[in-house]
Amino acid sequence: MGTGRVAFITMLELHNLVCRYGKIAAVKGISLAVKRGQLVALIGANGAGKTTTLKSISGLLPPAEGQILFEGRDVTRGTARDMLSLGIAHAPEGRRVFPQMTVEENLEMGAYLRRDGRAIAQDMERVFEQFPRLAERRAQVAGTLSGGEQQMLAIGRALMSRPKLLLFDEPSLGLAPNIVERTFAIIQEIRTSGTTILMVEQNAYAALEMCDYAYLLESGSLALEGSGQQLLSNPHVRTAYLGG
Amino acid sequence: MGQFLQHLVNTLILGGTYALLGIGLTLIFGIMRVVNFTHGELYAFGAYAVFALSMLLGANFFLALVLALLGGMALGALIEIVLLRPMRGADIDTTMLVMIGAWIIMQNLEMLTWGGVAKAVVTPFPEVPLVIGSVSVSYLRVFVLVMALVLIAATYFLINRTKLGKAMRATFQDADTAALMGVSINRIYTATFAIGSGLAAAAGALLGPVFLAFPTMGDLAALKSFAIVILGGLGSITGATIGGFILAFVEELGAGYVSSGYRDAMGFVIIILVLMFRPTGLFARAERIG
Repeated sequence: MGTGRVAFITMLELHNLVCRYGKIAAVKGISLAVKRGQLVALIGANGAGKTTTLKSISGLLPPAEGQILFEGRDVTRGTARDMLSLGIAHAPEGRRVFPQMTVEENLEMGAYLRRDGRAIAQDMERVFEQFPRLAERRAQVAGTLSGGEQQMLAIGRALMSRPKLLLFDEPSLGLAPNIVERTFAIIQEIRTSGTTILMVEQNAYAALEMCDYAYLLESGSLALEGSGQQLLSNPHVRTAYLGG
Repeated sequence: MGQFLQHLVNTLILGGTYALLGIGLTLIFGIMRVVNFTHGELYAFGAYAVFALSMLLGANFFLALVLALLGGMALGALIEIVLLRPMRGADIDTTMLVMIGAWIIMQNLEMLTWGGVAKAVVTPFPEVPLVIGSVSVSYLRVFVLVMALVLIAATYFLINRTKLGKAMRATFQDADTAALMGVSINRIYTATFAIGSGLAAAAGALLGPVFLAFPTMGDLAALKSFAIVILGGLGSITGATIGGFILAFVEELGAGYVSSGYRDAMGFVIIILVLMFRPTGLFARAERIG
């Protein structure tokens, strides 16, 4: 865990959030909190409402009911653009790099709302230092990168907005085991460097091992919450999500 | 040989404006997934705008061209905001019906405003054609080609070298993710429709003085635009550019060596052949824009 950090204060709060696709409620009134500097995990089975929750936080899917507070402000009706300019970046499921744009252009898109050209260039160099593979491929279109490289690009792109809160949706999905390990290591580095993280992850064991706090979603509602260790030792979590 | 050269020159001149029409339509379809039936009416708008400004109001011809382009963009933005924005999320058929309605209304407004008699635009270019060897071409037509090439180059620059263009390409590739990057999808859609409409209006403003302006002139232009877009592959600007020149070439040769009565049928022959043998278009690698 981090070095001498100031006392945690709440960065993000959801109050009785309800999200609907047409008439079907995918999220049925959940409340959760993410404190500054924390890595919070949201775990649960497929279709539990994890991705939907992230989409409503990042403004892609306006919630039907409930409230979203970011740094104490009500941002429930914010658009994706509003949320990003407040400091919430979202690395979506499946990486979603722009396949016909170069690595550099993808990173520039991450900094789309920023106007500080020189600092953007510096941040891009920092991403390239962190991910030398991307530096080698900076003029290559992203669609030709391997899955692991695309993941690094998606993370780098999310960092380019200099977020306060980073939402990760299934960062390990579809990646080779050694890349999964690397991805989780990078996410922990990002947290250590001071960015708060809310992560949705199907790999419950890995997520609970690395998080400060976790919420378990089951069919759109919160079933459990607690520290990673608490959930790891919970009998229900063990049988249902950790294979006994 | 001389006749063939003449056809080639005519191909270039017609092809430039066809390319403008095709690029405009393919941008709109590629980024917005809207089948834009008003495209031909924007073309007619461009021709009538030049006629009204230069013949009725006495404005300078070149100024009239610029204003026609800008007016086309403004009209396109208006159509997008008033008709398409409320339809966001509706399926493609519904949007198509609305656009067909807009097309009919616009054409009838032109009829009401200008009457059925075709209007001619007099330009400052000399009547005597430029003759080089066996090829003769009017100065106006050379000007039309140059302007079309300038606008094509400007569009390429906009899409590939500007921040707006980058956001347009990102939206084309993945609108949700572009929104996550902070791109305002609504603004991109309005800009796209405005640019596509402006290109159609520019094509009309350039060709109106070459031919004549009449209320149904947009119909054929729209159909040809669709032929060009199908030929080039949906969403491909390069495809639309080359497609525009190919259609012009086929029309010229068809009119010259088969029968001039079949000139406008050539577009449909192309649509049928492409859809039969290469339905993704001649130049579509994968779906892309740029």
